Amino acid sequence: MEQVTRSAFRRWACLMMGFGLGLPWSCKAADEATEYQVKAAFLLNFTKFIEWPAAAFAAPDSPIAICILGDDPFGGALDQMVAGEVVNRRKVAAQRIKRAPPPKSCQVLFAGGSEKDLSKILPGLGPGVLSVGEGETFLRDGGMIAFVVENRRVRFEINRTAADNAGIKLSSRLLSVAKSVE
Amino acid sequence: MSGDQPQPDAPDQTGTAALKTLSLEELSQIEVTTPSKEPVKAFRTPAAIYVITGEDIRRSGATCIPEALRLAPGVEVARIDSSTWSIGIRGFGTNLTRSVLVLIDGRTVYTPLFDGTYWDVQDTMMEDIDRIEVIRGPGGTIWGPNAVNGVINVITKSAKETKGALVSAGGGNFEQGFLNARYGGGNGDGFNYRIYGKGFDRGPEYHQDGQNYDDSWRAAQGGFRIDWQRDNQDTFTLQGDLYDEEAGESVAATSYTPPYSQTINGNASLSGENLMARWERIVNDGNEIHLQAYWDRTDREEANFAEVRNTFDLDFLQRVRLPFRQQLSWGLGARVDPVDDTEVVSGLQFLPLKRTDYLFTAFVQDEIGLVDGRLSLIVGTKLLRTNFTGIAPEPSVRLLWTPSEKQTIWAAFTHALRTPSDSEQDFYLLGYSQTLPNGMPYFARFNPNPHFAPEQLNGSELGYRRLFGQKLYVDFAGYYNHYHDLFSEDITGPPSVQDNPPPPYLLLPAQFQNGLDGYTKGVEIAPEWRPAGFCRLRGSYSYLHMDVYAQPNPTVYFPLPTGPTITGSSPQHQVSVQSAFDLSKKLQLDLTYRYVSALPALAVPAYSTGDARVGWRFSRQFELSLVGQNLFQPWHLEYGPPPAVGIVRNVYARLTWSR
Repeated sequence: MEQVTRSAFRRWACLMMGFGLGLPWSCKAADEATEYQVKAAFLLNFTKFIEWPAAAFAAPDSPIAICILGDDPFGGALDQMVAGEVVNRRKVAAQRIKRAPPPKSCQVLFAGGSEKDLSKILPGLGPGVLSVGEGETFLRDGGMIAFVVENRRVRFEINRTAADNAGIKLSSRLLSVAKSVE
Repeated sequence: MSGDQPQPDAPDQTGTAALKTLSLEELSQIEVTTPSKEPVKAFRTPAAIYVITGEDIRRSGATCIPEALRLAPGVEVARIDSSTWSIGIRGFGTNLTRSVLVLIDGRTVYTPLFDGTYWDVQDTMMEDIDRIEVIRGPGGTIWGPNAVNGVINVITKSAKETKGALVSAGGGNFEQGFLNARYGGGNGDGFNYRIYGKGFDRGPEYHQDGQNYDDSWRAAQGGFRIDWQRDNQDTFTLQGDLYDEEAGESVAATSYTPPYSQTINGNASLSGENLMARWERIVNDGNEIHLQAYWDRTDREEANFAEVRNTFDLDFLQRVRLPFRQQLSWGLGARVDPVDDTEVVSGLQFLPLKRTDYLFTAFVQDEIGLVDGRLSLIVGTKLLRTNFTGIAPEPSVRLLWTPSEKQTIWAAFTHALRTPSDSEQDFYLLGYSQTLPNGMPYFARFNPNPHFAPEQLNGSELGYRRLFGQKLYVDFAGYYNHYHDLFSEDITGPPSVQDNPPPPYLLLPAQFQNGLDGYTKGVEIAPEWRPAGFCRLRGSYSYLHMDVYAQPNPTVYFPLPTGPTITGSSPQHQVSVQSAFDLSKKLQLDLTYRYVSALPALAVPAYSTGDARVGWRFSRQFELSLVGQNLFQPWHLEYGPPPAVGIVRNVYARLTWSR
């Protein structure tokens, strides 16, 4: 309750500043989400509903590495999201990579909408890498999960065949939330 | 972590921590803000660019494009009556504004009839606008002729971004009723479409002289857009609009026969349609091809003239990366406008009635990276030819220096042209003075001037942008523009008796000529502060100094002293403060204050007023908003000449359903 009151007060202080009243309070309580904060939350959430083949990891205690290929649109949101997270007794880590990753180094590969030549990169990823991208063409290029923004909400589409081919099991819960499953 | 990897922002755990706890289902229902990628690009543009996003428009409560333009610094938006505006940039605003080029999705809506933009017929579904890019300062090299003082570029969302249904409806005292509806869909394989329809009924403004000509305004418009993305490179777009409207107006009509001069209060009947096809191939960042063709038909039937104009336009643009960090752009354009005018009153004639205006352009521009990608030199020119003028160049040189990720310094030197129009070269405009004691009418008439030359501008600009930390952003621009051969109104000889057309009359001959020179200088400062995710404050201050004077020219019989009228019709100072607050997840509050200094030539005093909007998203599919505009007074003047129309306080409610 105290949390709520404080948050409301900060809002009010911030509003008064708009009229030149009040002091520059540190009004910092953002509870609105940006597109990439939600996408980062989805990426973390996906790891909980996916079963990788044992061969996807270098060692039994290797972390689940979420790799951002090329430009990073998250602006730190993914790092904050995975900090301290443990899924199935593995730590979750965020990494940035410039080109296609070597085997067993990435368990989730995220390619932003600005990445080109995905139709060449995605088929060469090898087994055990969940590929997540943006836009409708991502699935056609061989990707497994594609984020789409619809009416200001982030949804995702799944290409099950691509996941099956890579030895990745998607839980029925994930499939049921997806906007569409190919 | 190596140095070139982006560092995480200052910890903002509250937002992400809350999201962590949500389930997949809950995440799918969260509404997100999608920051436009354009501001990042705008940050590194060597021009005074301001991007009004679709979200800015939604939160401003603006119901039409001209009102949305009040959000941009340095733009002078003055509403004349219900359906007309004077929208100038860095001075020279008039009801059409000859010096600002306006485009909607790459379609030029600037007309070479009177040179300028008829704002009453520039509309679209406001919810479908992705952004409005406002470029202050000359942009002739890229955008073409008439981008002298600025460019206004309205860009709608791609069909992919407007999937689903949306209906918004509402009304109030001035916005008497409106309904907007759109539906978008796709096949999930790169093919997307949308269709929309809208209509509105806007009431009259306040008429202080009591002569209530009815300037109310009714319109219906519909349109569609289809985007088809094939593989990752090619996008094909087909889009079109269709509109029909009636706008009340009061116009002067002069005729060679009695009653010689009268004021007609009536309705302008405005309709039109356009169709555009576009192909874009984007191979990678820096290698692109754009090809577009459009047809645009406008039909204006006013109480004193009428015109049907068909515009056919073809544009090609290619961007290629070259060795030594060069980015080359080149393009070609052709536009042909067959025109069919109707004489409604004898004192206002375009001759010949059937004409064809045309414009051919070619341009090349090279961006050269000089020092480690931190300093760029951009040189280029446009060459253009119209039916009114020979070949003329529009060169520019720009320098862009980004000493760090958070600072941009730019400078530009530009030459731009305003090309002549039908109203200078094919136009007879009669004005009635008096009836002489012998019963003969005395007229003055502007006769066509086949030698009217382009108005010319040499512009110098300097700009600085800086991001202080993550929260404060300041954009500063300064300019000195030197004009010559500006539009003038000159008496060309002594009065003489004429008898064509009969009966005989005394005529004082006049012409539109290039008799004025002048300069403007000014600064625009636009800070933006986001102390928190739910709170955004923006401000702007624009200062303008204008001086316009007659060229010494002994061949002119008598120049009309229009210089002070021009300089006194633009505000010297403009201030605006906008705040956007999210009071809770469901409740938004937006407040705007603006000040515009006096327009002495039009007897318009300085004014301050404010707008407010409260938006309440009371369910996942519904939002209710209450908007008040011009709240400080029942009415105020924004433009003249006297007796000017008072712009009224406008309060309306809107219900939006989206799915």
